[in-house]
Amino acid sequence: MTVFLLPLAPYLLWLVYAALFHPVPLAYNWRSIWVRKAGTLSTVGAIAIVVMIFVVVLSMAQGVSRAYVKSGRDDQVIVLRQNARVEMMSSVTLAQARLISTHPLVARDAYGPLFTEDIIVSKQLPLADGTGSLTVTVRGTTLAGARMRSQVSLTAGRWFRPGLSEAVVPQSMQRRYRGVELGGTITMGGRTWAVVGVFDGSGSVYDSEIWTEVADLRQAYKRYGMDSSVAVRLRSPEDVPAFVRDMEKDVRLKLEAKPEPTYFAELGDAGKPMQVLGQIITAILTVGAVFAAMNTMYAAVAGRTSEIGTLRAIGFRRREILASFQWEAILLTTLGGILGAALSLLFNGIKSGGVNMKTWSDVGYAFAVTPGLMAEGVVFSILMGIAGGFLPAWRASRIPVTEAMRG
Amino acid sequence: MKFLSLVLRSLFRSKRRTVLTVLSLAVSVFLIALLQSLLGTMDSLTVSGGSGTRLVVQDKASFTNVIPQSYANFLRSQPEIENFTAFQWFGGEYQDPRNFFANFAVEPETYLDVYREECNLPSIPPGQVRDFKRDGNACIVGQELADRFGWKLGDVVPLRSSIFNITLRLNVRIIFKGKRKSDEMYLAFNIRQLQEAVPWMKGRVGAFTVRARNAADIPRLCDRIDRNFANSAQETLSITENAFNLNMMKMLGDYSTMVHSITGAVLMAILIVTANTMAMAIRERTTQISTMRALGFRSSQILSLLMAEGLLLSLMGSGLGIVMAILAADVAAKVGGSILPWMADFIITGETLLLCVLITLALGLLSTFAPAYRASRRPITDGLRAL
Repeated sequence: MTVFLLPLAPYLLWLVYAALFHPVPLAYNWRSIWVRKAGTLSTVGAIAIVVMIFVVVLSMAQGVSRAYVKSGRDDQVIVLRQNARVEMMSSVTLAQARLISTHPLVARDAYGPLFTEDIIVSKQLPLADGTGSLTVTVRGTTLAGARMRSQVSLTAGRWFRPGLSEAVVPQSMQRRYRGVELGGTITMGGRTWAVVGVFDGSGSVYDSEIWTEVADLRQAYKRYGMDSSVAVRLRSPEDVPAFVRDMEKDVRLKLEAKPEPTYFAELGDAGKPMQVLGQIITAILTVGAVFAAMNTMYAAVAGRTSEIGTLRAIGFRRREILASFQWEAILLTTLGGILGAALSLLFNGIKSGGVNMKTWSDVGYAFAVTPGLMAEGVVFSILMGIAGGFLPAWRASRIPVTEAMRG
Repeated sequence: MKFLSLVLRSLFRSKRRTVLTVLSLAVSVFLIALLQSLLGTMDSLTVSGGSGTRLVVQDKASFTNVIPQSYANFLRSQPEIENFTAFQWFGGEYQDPRNFFANFAVEPETYLDVYREECNLPSIPPGQVRDFKRDGNACIVGQELADRFGWKLGDVVPLRSSIFNITLRLNVRIIFKGKRKSDEMYLAFNIRQLQEAVPWMKGRVGAFTVRARNAADIPRLCDRIDRNFANSAQETLSITENAFNLNMMKMLGDYSTMVHSITGAVLMAILIVTANTMAMAIRERTTQISTMRALGFRSSQILSLLMAEGLLLSLMGSGLGIVMAILAADVAAKVGGSILPWMADFIITGETLLLCVLITLALGLLSTFAPAYRASRRPITDGLRAL
């Protein structure tokens, strides 16, 4: 966006300057917009649609990365096998896990060290709309793990108890999948797991995971002596580099530790293709919208030749006419931009999901129409106004007075 | 037909307006054609030469889990099964993680036979087939993939997998030419390499691909296999290969909803734009139209002349858009194919062309009807007075 704005900045500044210090008849332009209602509405409508598509597609990408950003805390570290990249591919032995739990930098609360050993497996679940099934992540974790993920809060039922093959399921999964409601059962690893609780992960990736007790899951999947990953909370975020170094240097460990924000940011790249696709789509559509705006503005100029002549005759200079019509085009497209940005709000919060190609499991996210994205959409519509309005405005400023007065 | 020149003249009465509208339509149709073809291409990939006669036996809980290789014994005893092979997704990277392509560990003895349509078995020299089966480090690659990295027969390809945390050095023994470019975008090697290097893969495979003698037997076969392993520690899920591929595609995300919504919104936008142009064009000619009617044209004739004008406008717009899309499809296939292997087969599909024709018709008729009808019914005296 800034790439386009920078070269245009001098022109924009001049336009603002002209509007402020020259007698540019902006009120006249504003009224003129509403004289040709059909033309105005069609241009505003077309531009609103383009801006809406732009904001909504980017809000999907935003939603994906937001789910990941929300998942990390900067005083927490996740420990994986070297080069494992994702928890599912990682393995940490129980002996290593014990060693990490006694590290002096690990924070404690009333119940003990804020340390959790997790096992990640995946499970195919049927979709609620009956169109197939998707793979979701199942996390075997501990109660300390549940406390450490402060985004997560229990909304119904209770947490799992060790040894009873119990699972808790996020609220957001209930609508997307079949058979995961409170009191239901899930079959995996040759066992039947009772759903005893429902939690809310407030939009983080944990909203896409089923949680069970780690020892139960280890037994069911015969991962004897193994965890997938270990996560710890440190006394303060400043301790992170020292802790990461210890994990790598200790010969008994030789593990890769990543601050949670880094780990999740790497996974959050999953939103990239969608973002690129959205940008390509918008770029193509913008060209179409600019042509449409140009059409409307040319018609406006052609229909008001005698008015332009009058303006010139009573003393408006050429560049003031140029600024005046350029402003009219910008007003027109910005109306469309604001309408489009407002319409895109209708999509805010819509839940969707996609499979992360790094973890092979389904991650739910919500469209995130942020004020920033909406502002970007409006700026975008201003650009369209400049692009679509310049030639017609230039033409308006070049019409000879005598000819214009004749009509 | 005799009025064609009249329609053309009227259409180009205001050249700039017509050209701008046509361009605006063209880029929008261009986008719709590309997006819809993207979906069409994705759909077509779920079906390949022999996929109709194959089924996949995977772990019931998740396709990422492995199942015992000993399940093969049961498969071997089923009379409807012609042949089967085991495979495991390796997730190997060549030089750089961004060089993504599919690579599997397979059983070389049976693999070529089960996938004989896809790798075009009759065209592979017998010497290469023998080398592939004998050399434990052998691998088979598709022509398109080999071209991309400049591999030749006998080259050594190091593949590093982050899933298994090992690096394999594989010898290229077969380079095959498939029917489609996307069929040539993968590499396969002997699963024993993996089972020897990774302790927990010993005696295990990712899934089996089973080729049935008769496609009609598949539902019965799926049912029997799953029933046999029901209540075991690892239950199986058998599905047709097309359904398996469809599941994989589903993982790419719900692009079809997105594409259809965008198509709908864009159609709305170009309908508004075209309707505006036609309304302007007709309003300007009020007097002209009344004069024509005064000369003896009937209102139905006027209506059809105006409608023809609208149709022609939308035809020019979408025609140009489709031509642009067809020209761009090659580029998209080349550029996209280097990032996403399946994009190598990207073409503007027949369904897309049909859709574009429908769009053109609907656009021309819908955008013009209201103003044209009003103009054709206007009392002649009114229109002449408007001068």
